[in-house]
Amino acid sequence: MIIVVTYQWAPDPQEATVAADGTVDFSRAKPQISDYDATAIEVGRALADATGARLVGVSVTGGAGAAPVATKAALARGLDEVLVVSDPRLEGAGTTMTATAIAAAVRSLGEVSLVLTGDSSIDNGAKMVAGVLGGVLGWPVLTDVTAVRFVGEGLEAVRVVPQGVQTMAVTAPAVIATAADAAKPKAPGMKDVLAAGKKPVRIMTADEAGVVIRAEGVLRSTGRAPAPARRMVRIDTSDPASAGAELVSSLRAAGVWGG
Amino acid sequence: MSFELTDEQQLTRSSVREFAEADVAPIAAEIDREHRPPLDIVPKLGELGLLGMLVPEEYGGVGMDTVSYCIAIEELSRVCASTAVLVEAHSSLCTWPIVHYGTEEQKQAYLPDLASGAKIGAFGLTEPNAGSDAGNTATTAVRDGDEFILNGQKIFITNGGFADVFVIMARSTDAPGTHGVSAFIVDRDTPGFTIGEPEHKMGIRGSSTVPLFFSDARIPAANLLGQEGKGFNLAMATLDGGRTGIAAQAVGIAQGAFEAAVAYAKERVQFGKPIASLQAIQWMIADMATEIEAGRLLVYQAADLEWRHEPFATHSAMAKLFCAEMATRVAGKAIQIHGGVGYTEAYPVERAYRDAKITEIYEGTNEIQRLVVSRAFLR
Repeated sequence: MIIVVTYQWAPDPQEATVAADGTVDFSRAKPQISDYDATAIEVGRALADATGARLVGVSVTGGAGAAPVATKAALARGLDEVLVVSDPRLEGAGTTMTATAIAAAVRSLGEVSLVLTGDSSIDNGAKMVAGVLGGVLGWPVLTDVTAVRFVGEGLEAVRVVPQGVQTMAVTAPAVIATAADAAKPKAPGMKDVLAAGKKPVRIMTADEAGVVIRAEGVLRSTGRAPAPARRMVRIDTSDPASAGAELVSSLRAAGVWGG
Repeated sequence: MSFELTDEQQLTRSSVREFAEADVAPIAAEIDREHRPPLDIVPKLGELGLLGMLVPEEYGGVGMDTVSYCIAIEELSRVCASTAVLVEAHSSLCTWPIVHYGTEEQKQAYLPDLASGAKIGAFGLTEPNAGSDAGNTATTAVRDGDEFILNGQKIFITNGGFADVFVIMARSTDAPGTHGVSAFIVDRDTPGFTIGEPEHKMGIRGSSTVPLFFSDARIPAANLLGQEGKGFNLAMATLDGGRTGIAAQAVGIAQGAFEAAVAYAKERVQFGKPIASLQAIQWMIADMATEIEAGRLLVYQAADLEWRHEPFATHSAMAKLFCAEMATRVAGKAIQIHGGVGYTEAYPVERAYRDAKITEIYEGTNEIQRLVVSRAFLR
């Protein structure tokens, strides 16, 4: 059995700078394995240990992610091997090209039972790769998954959504995007760091992966989000009992208080 | 000539930093305030391999290069000098001499547990009348059949309050001065061996510093470490490497204080603008950054020489001498940049200042380092 975890060699958001207008600048941030993807690797490692599966990391990069320090950083987190689609034309690839390239890499691996992704890309934050990837592969997709396990031929996943906690049965193979809090990534140990350089790494170009590069929209900048619209509600407090009920009613109507 | 760290060294830094920020930084101020060793995180230190960095793989360790080891010490010190010195004393002063001077039986018996963190190590050289004058050791070890009987006292022993394995220097022959000193491995539960009350220190308050007492403490003769009468040489060789580790600790303390100062300078507004825009602050930041980088290069050079089995004692002494004084200067400037709040426990720089001072003193005072360095040039 093969479990794939997608990961991104991405700028460390802790080192990003935010200008007064809210524009985020990642240009001076050192790259690392995205925190979201580290969570997905942690989930994948536990699943692989429980099932005896091989845990393969798949990444798409314009080049930097194929550097030995990048593949070793991924492998040190518990992957058994990595497959990187590296092509200068994929630098800054958007959701569609990234998902297409990942799908090509996944297909090249053979019988993959599950693809795990992080919650979202750390720099773009679009939360779309998992969905597009599932579409390209023709596999079911679940997002915001906090726990997942193999049950029989399929999977059982728990996700937290605004409506509550859902437990879902999913047919395998599937694409599952792990929630940011699905696991707490552990720092790689010193033995993991030294062992990383001895694990298999395969790097293929877009052509070798059979990916046809197409122009796609690019992220130009990330600015501050507009403040949410607020609706003023005045409550007459002369009668505390009715004021309380009205407050609860208003909060429910605003979706702040569920139930 | 390349100053670039290897992939593994870079990943060691990022991994230890990730661990340090997640697990060590949150307790650093607390253990300092409470004078409490960070025993809760010892299992995690062991799990990550940070207690077996200098132990070869065949004995359960990681077998890391000494530059990586220094990077790890640096990163731990960046957030907590007490945690760093726990690792440093355990590794440089206890596991290292057993790795390099121990018999195969001693290595098999002690190293796996030391590497995993199941046991913690300490080193006993200093005595009330044998500090910088280490050859004046008064603790005795008298042979009695298959045993040595130890009597005497050690002071200022790092990790002593909770360590399980001690490398102890004691005089075992009548040879004068440094020639009669031998090294021994002593288990904590040895009858006649007792641990005194912890010192209340100015800095590294989360580190255990205690006196040790030996009163007819019998240990197996097989616990003699290295050759009898050659213990002083063993101790000096141990301290050569240990000094590089302390220099790395000083760089880490300085780096932590520097980062705090930079962050504060950017956010603190006076005269209508961040104080980072004032030249007086900019010059301090420039000097601090330059000094830290110079110290870091001295540390990596000494560590690299050791790893390549080149003579490194002079470079190790230079690194400790420079970095220890640099760390005190940098931490002092970090307080100055913070102004009044830097003198309070609300910010980490006052702790950095207190922690930095000890690096000028332990594992050989800076006066001893100057002696070592000058001898290399005045022979």
